[in-house]
Amino acid sequence: MPEMTYLEAIRSALQYEMRQDERVFIIGEDIGVYGGAFGATFGMLEEFGPERIRETPISEAGIMGAATGAALVGMRPVAELMFMDFVLLALDQLANQAGKARFMFGGKATVPLVVRMPGGSGSGAAAQHSQSLESILMHFPGIKVVNPSTAYDAKGLLLSAIRDPNPVVFVEHKLLYKTKGEVPEEEYTIPIGLADIKREGRDITVVANNIMVKKTLAVAEELAEEGIEVEVVDLRTMRPLDVGTITSSVKKTGRLLVVHEACQTGGWAGEIMAIVSAHDAFNYLDAPMRRLAGADVPIPYNRLLERAAVPQEEDIAREIRAIMSNKY
Amino acid sequence: MKEEQKTEKKENADFFKKVEALGLKQAQLEEMLYTMYLIRRFERMADQLYAAGKVHGTMHLSAGQEAVAVGLGLAVQDDDYLVNHHRGHGHFIAKGADVNLMMAEFLGKENGYCRGRGGSMHIADVEANNLGANGIVGGGFPLAMGAGLAVQMQKADQIVLGIFGDGSTNEGVFHESLNMAALWKLPVLFICENNKYGMSMDVEQVIAKLPIAQRADAYGIPWELVDGNDVVAVFDVMNKAVAHVRAGNGPYFVEAQTYRYFGHSKSDRNLYRSQEEIAAWREKDPIFRFRAALREANLITEETADELNEKANGVIESAVEFAENSPEPNVNTLMEYVYA
Amino acid sequence: MPTPFIMPKFDMDQETSRIINWVKKEGDPVSLDEVVLEVETDKVSIEVPAPASGILAGIQYSDGDEVPVTTVIAYILKDGETLADIQPETPTDTKTADTVEYQQKQVTIPEQKITPVAQRMAVAHQIDVGELVVAGKKITKADVEGFIAENQGNNGVLRLSATPAARRLGREKGIELAEIVGTGPGGRIQLADVLEYQKADASVTHKTAVVHNEHQPELISLEGMRLKIANRMQASFQEAPHISLSMEIDVSKLETLRHRLNRIATKEDQNKISMTALIVKVVAWALAKNRYLNSSLQGDVIKIWPDVNVGVAVALEEGLIVPVVRNADKKTVSVINSDIRNLVEKARQGNLELDDIRGGTFTISNLGMFGIHQFRAIINPPESAILAVGAVIRKPVVISDQDDIEVRPIMEITLSADHRVIDGAVAAYFLQDLANGLESPEILMY
Repeated sequence: MPEMTYLEAIRSALQYEMRQDERVFIIGEDIGVYGGAFGATFGMLEEFGPERIRETPISEAGIMGAATGAALVGMRPVAELMFMDFVLLALDQLANQAGKARFMFGGKATVPLVVRMPGGSGSGAAAQHSQSLESILMHFPGIKVVNPSTAYDAKGLLLSAIRDPNPVVFVEHKLLYKTKGEVPEEEYTIPIGLADIKREGRDITVVANNIMVKKTLAVAEELAEEGIEVEVVDLRTMRPLDVGTITSSVKKTGRLLVVHEACQTGGWAGEIMAIVSAHDAFNYLDAPMRRLAGADVPIPYNRLLERAAVPQEEDIAREIRAIMSNKY
Repeated sequence: MKEEQKTEKKENADFFKKVEALGLKQAQLEEMLYTMYLIRRFERMADQLYAAGKVHGTMHLSAGQEAVAVGLGLAVQDDDYLVNHHRGHGHFIAKGADVNLMMAEFLGKENGYCRGRGGSMHIADVEANNLGANGIVGGGFPLAMGAGLAVQMQKADQIVLGIFGDGSTNEGVFHESLNMAALWKLPVLFICENNKYGMSMDVEQVIAKLPIAQRADAYGIPWELVDGNDVVAVFDVMNKAVAHVRAGNGPYFVEAQTYRYFGHSKSDRNLYRSQEEIAAWREKDPIFRFRAALREANLITEETADELNEKANGVIESAVEFAENSPEPNVNTLMEYVYA
Repeated sequence: MPTPFIMPKFDMDQETSRIINWVKKEGDPVSLDEVVLEVETDKVSIEVPAPASGILAGIQYSDGDEVPVTTVIAYILKDGETLADIQPETPTDTKTADTVEYQQKQVTIPEQKITPVAQRMAVAHQIDVGELVVAGKKITKADVEGFIAENQGNNGVLRLSATPAARRLGREKGIELAEIVGTGPGGRIQLADVLEYQKADASVTHKTAVVHNEHQPELISLEGMRLKIANRMQASFQEAPHISLSMEIDVSKLETLRHRLNRIATKEDQNKISMTALIVKVVAWALAKNRYLNSSLQGDVIKIWPDVNVGVAVALEEGLIVPVVRNADKKTVSVINSDIRNLVEKARQGNLELDDIRGGTFTISNLGMFGIHQFRAIINPPESAILAVGAVIRKPVVISDQDDIEVRPIMEITLSADHRVIDGAVAAYFLQDLANGLESPEILMY
């Protein structure tokens, strides 16, 4: 199996699907010759031409609405927003239009679109280019939200997202783009709505998404040497949530830590905890559920401050040790 | 007195010639009058049902603006796409929607156009390429542009009718969408239904330079103004605009100037405009004017006109009966239709 | 500078101790020498006292942790000190945040004595023991219960701190959580506490589950000392295959000796010599001759102890405790006698120190004062044998080959020995020596 980067896996999925489904086209800013701000569509203009690699003015609402309108009329657009932060400019089109059209029209419309957006901090891009907004996007009925943590998951989930008859927000993480993994050349899909246990463990369940999965896995290796066996649940899909995998894992370990980069207040960790609290899994908890989230602060520019604003490996390790020793 | 009669006669002659030049047959003219009555009856009935406590939500009535809907409806193909604003009952009716299903939706019934999930503000019939009314002012601009993009990529011969009010043209997406539509020469006909008020705000209070349509110049889109209370004039302008768009020349922009009689929505107490102003616009009522013109030109009899009005009345009454006898949605189906 | 609280070293060859239970919790006030935690080495379990008075803070290890000796396990903060005052190697910053809370918290340092059970209940229910109205000279469990019932209301129903998992198991197994002392933060009952309780009390639980009785049983919670005894006895009886050997001893000469010694004691204004002191002396002498009886089995190694430290079981209200007479084989009867008197008194006062109870190599349990003729005792681990001593009964015995019968003071003794270490014959040799010594104490002069 060839090794490719997360970014190459995304491109591979886009190419595959555009070759076999002519309804699929990409729409976004600087996606042609430039290849997209992070290079996801690099080289695709030559193969697919400017009609299907549709470069736009800097008009995020326009891009999102164009994708929505085209999807309503039978196309399968994949929109690219240069940074996740810009989804706020396009949110009416995404949440009020794409997400609600099917329901408002009594189930008679379908909106098969994907909107890709890189989120997350760590690149020194500061407050308006580093956010993790999946908690906001998960809130809207009618929209699905996925966020792969590996190259393999990225390709499989993107193919599923493009084929899904609903609006799918596809969140990428900037710091994952260069991470490598084995990715099959051929077609395969990963179902939307299925979490993945990236590591089994008996002592504590850590539920995480995108880059936090990677960090937690590193921490889990370290803690295993101390005799703490961490079970790492990679949500992969934020909406719809895979409740069964989360609650089964909590029932098994009796302890839960939720880790995300998104700001803590109103963050999705609260959702996970609420689900567990209301579920039979609650009766298996042997310690309070804890969360480790981004600080309630805009992402700072300074490297040290930026690092301190979101959970790092040492924070995850400290929090797990605290839960395991009942010291919080 | 003599002078006045002379002028009137000349106008009547002009009307006759105009109608003839546009190729409008007697039956079509009667149909146009009937449809205008039908819209007016629908809006009146909606108001009455609300007064009778039978309507759950709010609504935005378009009485006074029927000529725009009917003039446009006659100029387009059945399978052209329609992206509408929230004062949209008239456009749907004019484009051939089933008033029974509309009324059922209006009363929130399971067999309404949107199974009672959308209501007055979100009536759509996607199968008939009616992509729905929009509750977000300006929300439809990018959708119309996107639908145009799809049609262009699919190399279909349909066009997209993007209908919006004066108020929405101050939204950012208006500019984004006009720019992109012009840039890519998309088959979108932008129709600004200027009824003078965005809720309570007079266009003159909120738009720096009028007419609104001249904004299309910024994007190189051809535009035209039309008296939105003159159904024949509207038809004339729309005909040309539709031809332009369908021929692949890119978007076109029409501003139809008209007036709404009812308040913005049910909470409106008409504090921002005078009774005199409303009365003056009623003098220019599109239905009254059209009927009078037809009469003067001997294109219709008093009796036929009354019959058309009565017929519209009957259709609306039976629509209410249909809607009232329709089932409510089952609460157990609440979560349906969120995802495909 | 806060006083570092180190894991003490108890034995020469000891490298680590395992924390059994923090009696005191983060933020609790502690006074010098007050018991803060219980630990166990591979030999014994020990209560570790505070090295200073102040607030316990910065706890570094939890229950169950294996900690190298001399490692800092916590700090004692004096007035105005915070964890931030610790020089190098400070704990993590989260601790600093906690410290602020301690400073703000008004804590009454208890001047009154408190039983361990009461102390734990007070901790579990976050009760400031200074507020308690005390019936006796010591704060007891009843005092704490009364306080809870009065102040926390709910018709006397205690609001328990327990994890959902602990509550679930409690429900499923019909276990009253109120009977369990939690080892979690603030005394919270953890799943492991319930499992432990269930294990220790399996038989009782089964019985209560099947007995239908219109009279409700009085419930005595298995906690503190009782729980410890329960666990230790069960472990001992399960792990060590017990063999028992009994012998009837004619203590005529021993009694005579006792009377003679007592006359000397009276003359010297000393306390009277007890029968127990004499027995300890003879047992120590016999142990020195039969060293397998003075041993411990640990793993696959039998450790034969050079010192003969004889424990004497003392019954207290809370349970059994075994103070130790050190080097009993090297002490005179009068020294042994006063050792025992002191230890028993300290035990009754609840003042026993760590040194008083650790390091025993053999135990004597005497129930003679209750008129018990004969019984078998369970070995006190990690020891290998225990001697159960019955009452001295005057009864007719055959004293000659001609079947002459005479009434003599007879005492029945029963040795329980760990068969893994001690064979029947070895035990018998010991018992024989012991019988000789008890029947003819003069031979100890040899």
